[in-house]
Amino acid sequence: MSVLEVRKLQKSFGELQVLRDIDFSLEKGEALSVIGSSGSGKTTLLRCLNFLEKPDGGQIIVNGEVLFDAADAATQQEKQIRKKRLHFGLVFQNFNLFPQYTALENVRLAGELLAREREDYRTGRKAVLAAIDEKARRLLDQMGLSDRADHYPHQLSGGQQQRVAIARALALSPDILCFDEPTSALDPELTGEVLRVIKGLADEHTTMIIVTHEMQFAHDVSDRVIFMDGGVIVEQGAPQDVIDHPREERTKRFLERYSGN
Amino acid sequence: MTFWNVILTLAQGLTNTTRLFFLTLLGALPLGLVICFGSMNHWAPFARWAERAAARRGEETALTRFGKRCKPVSAVVKFIVWIVRGSPLMIQILIVYYGPGLLFHWPLLPRFSAALITFIINYACYFSEIYRGGIQSIPKGQQEAGQVLGMTKSQIFFKVTLLQVVKRIVPPMGNEFITLVKDTSLVRVIAVYEVIWMGESFIKKGMIWPLFFTAVFYLVFTAVLTALLDLAERKLSYFK
Amino acid sequence: MDKKEKTRKKGLQFSVLMCYHNTAIKSGGRRRARRKKHMKKVRIIALVLVVALCAALFTGCAKKDSDSDTAYVKKNGKLIVGITDFAPMDYKEAGSDEWVGFDADMAKAFAKELGVDVEFIEINWDNKAVELETKAIDVVWNGMTITDEVKNLMSVGNAYCNNAQVVVVNAAAADQYQTADSVRSLSFAAENGSAGAEQLDLLGVAYTAVDTQAKALMEVASGSVDACVIDSLMAAAMVGAGTDYPELTYTVGLNSEEYGVGFRKGSDLVDAFNAFWKAAYDDGTVMKTAETYKVQAAIIAQ
Repeated sequence: MSVLEVRKLQKSFGELQVLRDIDFSLEKGEALSVIGSSGSGKTTLLRCLNFLEKPDGGQIIVNGEVLFDAADAATQQEKQIRKKRLHFGLVFQNFNLFPQYTALENVRLAGELLAREREDYRTGRKAVLAAIDEKARRLLDQMGLSDRADHYPHQLSGGQQQRVAIARALALSPDILCFDEPTSALDPELTGEVLRVIKGLADEHTTMIIVTHEMQFAHDVSDRVIFMDGGVIVEQGAPQDVIDHPREERTKRFLERYSGN
Repeated sequence: MTFWNVILTLAQGLTNTTRLFFLTLLGALPLGLVICFGSMNHWAPFARWAERAAARRGEETALTRFGKRCKPVSAVVKFIVWIVRGSPLMIQILIVYYGPGLLFHWPLLPRFSAALITFIINYACYFSEIYRGGIQSIPKGQQEAGQVLGMTKSQIFFKVTLLQVVKRIVPPMGNEFITLVKDTSLVRVIAVYEVIWMGESFIKKGMIWPLFFTAVFYLVFTAVLTALLDLAERKLSYFK
Repeated sequence: MDKKEKTRKKGLQFSVLMCYHNTAIKSGGRRRARRKKHMKKVRIIALVLVVALCAALFTGCAKKDSDSDTAYVKKNGKLIVGITDFAPMDYKEAGSDEWVGFDADMAKAFAKELGVDVEFIEINWDNKAVELETKAIDVVWNGMTITDEVKNLMSVGNAYCNNAQVVVVNAAAADQYQTADSVRSLSFAAENGSAGAEQLDLLGVAYTAVDTQAKALMEVASGSVDACVIDSLMAAAMVGAGTDYPELTYTVGLNSEEYGVGFRKGSDLVDAFNAFWKAAYDDGTVMKTAETYKVQAAIIAQ
């Protein structure tokens, strides 16, 4: 059973149809890269998965459970959407760290708030919060930022901020971790450290969807690649196939533009 | 009349002035938030009808465009804010105090209460616009980050947005506080004995310096306020 | 059915009609049922609003016709007297918190006769009519000059005291300004809207309008104007030897006028006051009080 199944997903903004019949699935432990030019719908796809946009048609199924079905209003209720979002994690292009909290507090915050809804919260509050704190420190350590735990976002470089954002997303142990062009807002020098972290996660078989412009990275790190253009999946397959030996005309044209770098 | 007698009399007026100032803030700061949410409310009851009507007709008419944009709660609140901010505070004081008696022959509110209510509503409207500007200036990504982390709307507001908004609005709110200090003198129009009224009462006895001295009270008050606002800005400067 | 009832009924009928009219326009089964339910809600809300408004207007009118002012004051347990700080009519002795003066003492006596307490409230003199009408105060008792305008706005008791609007100038120059003509060349100050200002308007003389008579005196004392016009009673108390303005004196009187006590328009307290004053004058209370405050020369015989 796949971790994620997306069937016939559609999304329009007014008259502009951004996603048309998107169909794909994702296995556990798989790293999926999504490439394509701007306006192809990649970001909208991620946002639909994270319930930041409401698709007009199609289904989103996680671990066999239908999380979203455009035809079934019962799956679209506000109250459950919050819980459904927890299946996914999202790392934004411009980090979106909370500026008034330190790096450690940023990573801890959501976990602490969610813990309030647990039954053992009232009785074992200290233990619960200690566990969250310990996990947060471990994640920051994994990102190589233990010495920056008490720094505020404005005191960190772009690369460091993005790594804190990744730790923050991982703190809730999502089923699928999504990256929305994680290095596009970074200087080339800082891009490396973030890509290293993502590669580390891929090596640990974290289930991931990465929207990126870094072709080399997509080629080296991902298990599968999807090329999107004009709201449809034009080609998907192993990176060697899609990037090295593209079959479709559109894919070839797109990659030619990038081969120059 | 010794110097201290004068100071004591002025102090009586100052009590009314400071009471009005603090109680107004106490009421207007939260009420401003309520009004702010009201004016940002996007409940559009005719939107779905308008979309279906436009689809049926195959084109947009003025009515369907209006139906999509019509947000009654927001419209009503914005209308009230326009009225309250657009008319002079002195006239509002007169209306709130004398209005019930003149229009409906109802018994009047006590003078101070009428003045306080007018001030609270008036300043809440000004505050609501400052809050709205602050809230809308927070990048949407902050809210989205909270959402993908499974935070509820109120958690996002109180844990993420609020402090960032507060930091942004300290300077314009400071302006409003200082304006409030001096607006308190308007209540003399319904014979609430604030500090300038008390100062003027000495003119009948031939002394004008007490009136000028009331300016000293205002200066001291404003100096304390400014210091507190600076402190707030400094305390919030630990993040950007 | 009187006019109010008629208009109310008409209003109701009209709003109901409008609701049915709207329902009738749209046709189509299910839609009509839904709209009917919606319009029923609208109709109910409109009804409630109309009823509330009428009720408010109604009770307002009703109150005016049936309540006696004297009964209202007695029920309230106190007579609220609107005043300003104006020696010798209403003022406070240094160090005391009690209002005294010719008007204050007589007001206290009147309240005692009505069997209620007395409460003095310093008001904004410009608003005295509105303060009366909205029942913030029950009576204006503060050396109020009886003018046509005042008589339009309030019911005034019988005149009780004479007054004149007098010209105040520097004592040194007083000899030159003993007649109304001689003062035309001077620059003046007067209280905005006062009887003194009115006299200057009649003379055709320009003046600086100030907030209070006390401020007008201050203008002369400071030299910013040559003269001012104020009540003779105030002048007697505030200028000349032994006062705060020893260098000033008053010369020509521009008119003569009378003071009266003001009640709400149509109030029955006026009769109670007139009866009280006549009795107080007859038994000598009035003159005795007047002597305490040195205004006995101005009292009008009743």
